[in-house]
Amino acid sequence: MDDGVSALVEMTGISKSYGGVHACRDIDLTVRAGEVHALLGENGAGKSTLMKVLSGDVTDHTGEIRVAGVPRRFGAPVDAQRAGIAMIHQELDLVPELSVAENIFLGREPRTRLRTVDRRAMITMTRGLLDRCGVRLDPRRPVGALRTGEQQLVTIAKALSLDAQVLIMDEPTSALSPVEVEQMFTVITELRRAGAGIVYISHRMDEIGRIADRATVLRNGAVVEEFDARELTAERAAEAMVGRPVQAMFRTRAVEPGEEILRVRDLALTPRRARSGRREPDGISLTVRRGEIVGVGGLLGSGRTELLETLFGAGPPGTVRGEILLRGRPVRPRGPRQALALGLAFVPEDRRIAGLAIDHSVLANTVLSIVERIATAGIVPRARETSAARRIVADLKVKVGSIGDAVGTLSGGNQQKVVFGRMLLTEPLLLLLDEPTRGVDVGAKAEIYALLGRAAEQGIGVLLASSEPAELVGVCDRVVVLSGGRSVRELDTSHAGEAELLAASMGEGSTAIAVDTGGAG
Amino acid sequence: MTRTVPHRGSGGRVVAALFRFQSLFGLVAVFVVAVVFSPRHDGALLFLDGDNLFNVVRAVSEIGIMAVGMTFVILVGGIDLSVGAVLGLAAVGSAVLMVDSDFGVFAAVAVVLLIGLGFGFLQGLASAVFGIQAFIVTLAGMQIARGLARIWSGGQGVAIAYGDGPGEAPLAFSLLGERTFNGLVPIPALIFAVVAVVAIVFLRTSAFSRHMYAIGGNEQAARLSGVPVTRVKVAVFCICGFLAALAGIVHAGQLNQGSPNDGFGYELDAIAAVVIGGTSLMGGRGSVTGTVAGALLLGVLNNFLGLHGVDPNIQLLVKGLVIVVAAGLQRLRPAG
Repeated sequence: MDDGVSALVEMTGISKSYGGVHACRDIDLTVRAGEVHALLGENGAGKSTLMKVLSGDVTDHTGEIRVAGVPRRFGAPVDAQRAGIAMIHQELDLVPELSVAENIFLGREPRTRLRTVDRRAMITMTRGLLDRCGVRLDPRRPVGALRTGEQQLVTIAKALSLDAQVLIMDEPTSALSPVEVEQMFTVITELRRAGAGIVYISHRMDEIGRIADRATVLRNGAVVEEFDARELTAERAAEAMVGRPVQAMFRTRAVEPGEEILRVRDLALTPRRARSGRREPDGISLTVRRGEIVGVGGLLGSGRTELLETLFGAGPPGTVRGEILLRGRPVRPRGPRQALALGLAFVPEDRRIAGLAIDHSVLANTVLSIVERIATAGIVPRARETSAARRIVADLKVKVGSIGDAVGTLSGGNQQKVVFGRMLLTEPLLLLLDEPTRGVDVGAKAEIYALLGRAAEQGIGVLLASSEPAELVGVCDRVVVLSGGRSVRELDTSHAGEAELLAASMGEGSTAIAVDTGGAG
Repeated sequence: MTRTVPHRGSGGRVVAALFRFQSLFGLVAVFVVAVVFSPRHDGALLFLDGDNLFNVVRAVSEIGIMAVGMTFVILVGGIDLSVGAVLGLAAVGSAVLMVDSDFGVFAAVAVVLLIGLGFGFLQGLASAVFGIQAFIVTLAGMQIARGLARIWSGGQGVAIAYGDGPGEAPLAFSLLGERTFNGLVPIPALIFAVVAVVAIVFLRTSAFSRHMYAIGGNEQAARLSGVPVTRVKVAVFCICGFLAALAGIVHAGQLNQGSPNDGFGYELDAIAAVVIGGTSLMGGRGSVTGTVAGALLLGVLNNFLGLHGVDPNIQLLVKGLVIVVAAGLQRLRPAG
């Protein structure tokens, strides 16, 4: 390359589309030895797809990948692994019951002469690998007993044992505590010194400023800018990531907000048993009024989902502190059933896991929350049941042949409408929505936004958690920004835009964070 | 609308219907085979002989009553291995209470049914509230119920003699061994029919059953939709224990005794009837209609093989094969 530092990986002219949608358009990306290369962009900007191409997960792309100057064509992730490229997944692929050493050497355990597993060799080799990362961990401990950050370090050690030269890290610090983040940075520094190249995906500007050398910003599947990471500020990055006026697909209403429906003050949850990967509320305050759509923003791992679950009584058992006032009355839902009775409704993030009985009928899924209410002496009148389902299917324009069809035969957007409809049938005061448009196509997205607007017009308060700044700014009246389980900022979307929201999310609460230059430069 | 899963497309509909009534078609097929290949005596088909059919239905009734309860438990994604042992406990209880403790029929029946219900309740609590897997809870429950039956009976079968004196059971209890409607329908079959019809209507119409199916279909979604998951699961185990006890009472009445070893292995027949009836062991889909057909199919098959004097060990092989085929057909069933 230009400055004489050897390029480990050169990607040139990478394009990939799903259906008619371009996920990547003619992208060039270089990863050099001893470099941390940050990759920035909004959700859907093409980061994940590009990294899937590099790690051999997506293979039907165009363009060229050279590894150490040699053109390569990966047919599967294992090819990329052999070429020295390893992806550190957000969801860790480790077996919790096995030890650190067993996980690292899973499927290629060193053998003794008798063909039994050579535990001693395995443990010694694991120690060596962990030392290379500068990590102190007992190789014999079961992975399930480690904290999330330690588990992540194990995956990195595993990648190193496969002789990885290039490591792709996707939001590696999102679930980590500050101490774990420091440990992770030490490891990254070690790896860089050893000549590895690292692609680092993150939204946290403070982190990028500290450990990245270069930063590439993607938008709509293309590279828009390349920065020297040391000169990068949250605002400049956000501007590059957004780079356009907010799309006009969102609502254009202006409902006069009414009385206050929900007031949350200093909400915090201490779970009885800590679960890794969760960020329980730790000081959240917000209000929602009648007819208002309030957004919940913040980075991955900032505690958006956990906030909604706590309000709905669906969080892990533990001690809830702070106040939840519903129409001025203090409430503390102990479970979803009680929450629904109070007038709260919740549309969870993953409809297949938490929303639908996928091979039951649309009818059964739609009326589930009201069957008791419409029953007389425990018997559900079929006519009322079907008419309620038909009404909501028509209201929400769910595309379905017959309400007897299995809900699994519908498209993602229509499935989402079924969950949404089930909750609307309970006639809630307040609707809690977690990523309501994830995995639905653009058309269905617009329809769901319209439905939200209509619900708000009817006087329902809406609390909408989303990872898409465009959605929050476009749909919500106000956005409460979370960071580390706290509400750090509130934005009025009639003044603030996506860039401001992004900056607030990334900058731990302040709009113009001066990025630490890390001493180098 | 039925509570089983419908499918789209006319061709798909036919296939779906075939699969939905799989156990009914199976039953018809086995029945036809049994008739056609029935041994003859003086030109008459032994299988269709009144007394023989009486035997089939009587034998099916006990398993059938248990299998209805088992269907409920399996629909919410659970399993109950204790039903055979609870049947034994209930049979012993009926005999001991009437013969040794001079209970009247109604008092004895009520106490035994309550024991079954209570046993189910405890198992439900252990599994739904404390989160121990139903398989383990009811495996333990099976041992406990069997142990209790042995202790209560002193390890011996307790014979039931009828009369008014001490040590004799009221004559009314012997009704369970008799027939009604001009001697055409055995009383146990009548009880089974009533249980089955009530269960079928209940599963089709009640709000509670919507909750059961929802839990079996996706427990987390059901909970987030306001379904009282724990309560429903406990209730379902209560129903299953209650019906197992009812089957035990019927058993005691038919055999005029209560032996602590009664009902050994019946839980497997009950599960087999449910599986042959097309109910998914994962929960969330199935019907009592299917279970009834499954129980009848097993009964007819048993009887047919018995009439031909087939070695009982071979009979076991055939039964095993039928279960595997039924379960295999379920896998071919078009996905919902």
